[in-house]
Amino acid sequence: MNLHLCYLLGGRLFVALLTLLIVSFVVFCATQILPGDVAEVLLGQAATPEAVAGLRAAMHLNDPAILRFFRWLGGMLTGDLGMSYANNRPIAELIAGRLGNSLQLAAATALFSVPIALALGITSAMLRGSLYDRSVTMATITVISVPEFMIATAGVLIFAVWLKWLPALSFARNITSFGEMLRIYAMPVFTLSFVISAQMIRMSRAAVVEALNTPYVEMAQLKGASRPRVVLRHALPNALGPIVNAVALSLSYLLGGVIIVETIFNYPGIAKLMVDAVATRDLPLIQSCAMIFCVVYLLLITTADVIAILSNPKLR
Amino acid sequence: MTDKISSSWTSADDAIVENAIRRGASRRDLLQMLMAGGLAASASSLVLARATSALAQTPVKGGNLKAAGWSSSTADTLDPAKASLSTDYVRCCAFYNRLTFLDGNGTLQMELADKFETKDAKVWTVTLKKGVTFHDGKPLTSDDVIFSLKRHLDPAVGSKSNSLAKQMVEFKAVDPLTVEITLAAPNGDLPTILSTHHFMIIADGTTNFAKANGTGAFTCETFEPGVRSIAVKNKNYFKSGGANLDSFEFFAITDDTARVNALLSGDIQLAAAINPRSMRLVESQPGVVLSKTTTGNYTNLNMRMDMAPGNKADFVEGVKYLLNREQIQKSALRGLAEIANDQPIPPMNKYHNKDLKPRAFDPERAKALFQKAGVLGQTIPIVASDAAGSSVDMAVLVQQAGNAIGMKFDIQRVPSDGYWSNYWLKAPVHFGNINPRPTPDILFSLLYASTAPWNESQYKSEKFDKMLLEARGSLDEAKRKQIYDEMQVMVANEAGTAIPVYISNVDAISNKLKGLLPNPLGGMMGYAFAEYVWLER
Amino acid sequence: MAIDAANTTTITPRRSGYRFNVTGWISLVIILAWAAIAILAPYVTPYGISDIVDTDYFGPMSAQFPLGTDYLGRDMLSRIMFGARYTVGISLAATLIACTVGVTLGMAAAVTGGWFDAALSRFIDALSSIPSKLFALVAVAGVGSSIPVLMLILGIIYTPGSYRFARALAVNVNTTDFVTVARIRGEKLSYLIRAEILPNIIGPVLADVGLRFVFIVLLLSGLSFLGLGVQPPEADWGSLVRENIGGLPFGAPAVMAPSFAIASLTIAVNMLIDNLPQKIRDRSE
Repeated sequence: MNLHLCYLLGGRLFVALLTLLIVSFVVFCATQILPGDVAEVLLGQAATPEAVAGLRAAMHLNDPAILRFFRWLGGMLTGDLGMSYANNRPIAELIAGRLGNSLQLAAATALFSVPIALALGITSAMLRGSLYDRSVTMATITVISVPEFMIATAGVLIFAVWLKWLPALSFARNITSFGEMLRIYAMPVFTLSFVISAQMIRMSRAAVVEALNTPYVEMAQLKGASRPRVVLRHALPNALGPIVNAVALSLSYLLGGVIIVETIFNYPGIAKLMVDAVATRDLPLIQSCAMIFCVVYLLLITTADVIAILSNPKLR
Repeated sequence: MTDKISSSWTSADDAIVENAIRRGASRRDLLQMLMAGGLAASASSLVLARATSALAQTPVKGGNLKAAGWSSSTADTLDPAKASLSTDYVRCCAFYNRLTFLDGNGTLQMELADKFETKDAKVWTVTLKKGVTFHDGKPLTSDDVIFSLKRHLDPAVGSKSNSLAKQMVEFKAVDPLTVEITLAAPNGDLPTILSTHHFMIIADGTTNFAKANGTGAFTCETFEPGVRSIAVKNKNYFKSGGANLDSFEFFAITDDTARVNALLSGDIQLAAAINPRSMRLVESQPGVVLSKTTTGNYTNLNMRMDMAPGNKADFVEGVKYLLNREQIQKSALRGLAEIANDQPIPPMNKYHNKDLKPRAFDPERAKALFQKAGVLGQTIPIVASDAAGSSVDMAVLVQQAGNAIGMKFDIQRVPSDGYWSNYWLKAPVHFGNINPRPTPDILFSLLYASTAPWNESQYKSEKFDKMLLEARGSLDEAKRKQIYDEMQVMVANEAGTAIPVYISNVDAISNKLKGLLPNPLGGMMGYAFAEYVWLER
Repeated sequence: MAIDAANTTTITPRRSGYRFNVTGWISLVIILAWAAIAILAPYVTPYGISDIVDTDYFGPMSAQFPLGTDYLGRDMLSRIMFGARYTVGISLAATLIACTVGVTLGMAAAVTGGWFDAALSRFIDALSSIPSKLFALVAVAGVGSSIPVLMLILGIIYTPGSYRFARALAVNVNTTDFVTVARIRGEKLSYLIRAEILPNIIGPVLADVGLRFVFIVLLLSGLSFLGLGVQPPEADWGSLVRENIGGLPFGAPAVMAPSFAIASLTIAVNMLIDNLPQKIRDRSE
């Protein structure tokens, strides 16, 4: 089994590297269609033709784009992310702090939302058709149908402006106590949980319902096993594959998809960094951010696959 | 005065309010008094904000200020030559100094310079103050000044003020505290030009701007582009007393609503440039005051005179009559604007021509002019973008007015990204947005001279160019005023730039924050507030 | 949000009893009502969408303006009615693009297998690893925002999910005897997909279409936050919420009404799917 797993992981790793290469090239092509370049953006209204030409020459922007791409790729392979065009600082330095912030927020959200979402999904599957089940379903759909900027703004108004319980900004400042950390993360975590939970609840409910309909679960029930036991011992292991897959996909959203939450709570994360990079046409920075999103996505998906395989007796 | 509330509001009224406050009138009393005088509620509280801050009590030392601007990105910079956004200006003002600056009345004051001297407005001798040191301890010398000014000429630096700096052709260090600057042609405005934010003085040889090493009232403790900066009081500041604040954190909250909410919740003490529509919310909250500045920022409709349809003078004039300035002021900007008369020099500037009245909204006259130009019934595309503030709203208003007289305008809203390089100055009919500049000479040479780099409507007039040179070289105030008056009339009547209103900037501040005064260089006290304000406890 | 329903393929709650219950009917009526408003908008709106009809802004509900006025003093009812066109229309078109392309490619990959399957799957993986909002940001910055562009972008963003879903379903069907027989018979790829695979996966695919529609509506409103959505003076419902968000502290109808519109549509679509007649849902089970 271990050999099989190693083989599997090896294959996955190879495919992942290939995917990364495709993504970097796709992103490179996409950036080529962007109008304007970093010299024009930096000069803004002062972008007279002479000024732009001068700055372009000084920044080595006149080299062919493909050459700059391969230069970046070469640097990437040796662990050097290069320098940002916009502010001439090492990209690794720009990303490091932001990535840490993003991961913290993602971890906090995952810790909070995954257990709740799974509990809601599984229990409503167990009580399928009941009032509880229907209200959970209704509530999830209602929650997901409100735009997240509305949830975030309403939250700030109620908890920060009117009640003054929580801060309106979630700047990851020097956190001194656990209580303060809770206060700072409460609102962004809540908002994001609203966004990602609905999908996890729906998927886990559906997967457990499906598993409960399989013949061997029905057999276990006939044998007189209690309902929680049937769900936990028999149905859940079989439903684990789809559930972890849904969780992985929801979590991958927490890195790149949180731009709205980062904007409203002024949280310096990596999604906003990439939006900035696009606005300033900072190609190496766009590339590096895209790579990070891709790596995290692949990591999550692969982990989900491995868990699915390990949990499924047939595949094992 | 930068803070006109309404045309009927005079400085005598200001004095009444100030006296009332001295007598101990409460905010409520004052509001009643002002309402009785017929002022709208929003205007009244603006008066209050100003009157209370004008009655400066003794500054309190200490405290940590948190303030939020409205835009920030990884392109944030501490390099004054590259500074492009309010965020950069605020930081530069905290960490560096200029040779001169403009005070609240628009009067030139010396900062790092002790005096400016010239005989012919061509060769200028600048004497520097003694005993000024950079944050790293190095004393300020003429070499630093020459380095700071000269680098604007190097294209590799990417200076925003390259076109202004080009007239300085020769620099000479006479002695460690005296610099001689020679201009290509006489310009009486040099000291004012050097008061703009790009001409901050940095230490000789500086190339790394990861941290700021200036002479300013604050030292740079943290700077993360696109995130925040933390400034700490400079204990060796050359101005006596130095800053009031112990430290000052600055960042940007791009979402308008979030910025106001952060102020209301007490997370920050200053929210810059709030949206006119947030006024109602802010006014209903105790503990928040508004500071309004009308500095001469404007969004204008440009019709290129070298392309159809702007090549027909009647079309251009028709559009100027079709602009419903009052509706733009009231509806699009919620009253936070002053009606303009199609020329770039705002009422707060001493050279503003008061006799030049704004055109009235006159659709019938516009219709007749369009008919004469032969464009009535055609569809004219107008390019608008969020990059030029409020331009989309203005375009909608023009479109509506046009529909009523059978003139079709097709609004092409384009992305902010790349607007300045792709559409501005290029499209036949488009919107521009011009930031305040302190002198008519800068505005006219940048925007209306035949060779101007930003000649938005391709206006060309030999007479105008000649007058510009004449006023620039002259040191006779009365004569300059007269020439500039006539030039404003020429621009308003001949150029293809329709300037409907000067847009006000409103900063919302906590009532604990004192000492914030309007300044002609922009909101937040011309971006230099950090050095002057204080926090009450 | 990247949604992948691939592993939950044939799952739909099985409720016995009536064929199409009350909830289903109500949902259907709401959806049809919005569709009717979208189609009839130009004929029934009381005011033009860009006419400034009120001197005040964020006006309350009144007989003259049943849903109040927006941040410029425009009539909200008219704007919401027109907004239905964009929200329903763009989302529908994007859903069709995503599902047609995704399902076709998914089935083709499952039936063909081999390197075609592998290459396509890797490419789709790569595509879905780029966060959707950032993808939209780059695309809109590159080619400008227009309604066809929005439809296409949203379609592309949701194609990977649809592809994976359909492929997983088709792989199962592909191993069945009748497909093997048809293949041995020498049938072409297009026939296999059309006549053998599609009819057997249509139920779950339809359910997936509905869910995808909801997510597209939501992403469209997310894009409007970033200024990438439908451009003014036109506005979809998400843009309406966004541009009037300043009215939230006053509980202005200008911000509440479009939010309710979005919620009513998305909830109705979901409820309809959950309560589809058993016959459609069970066709492939």
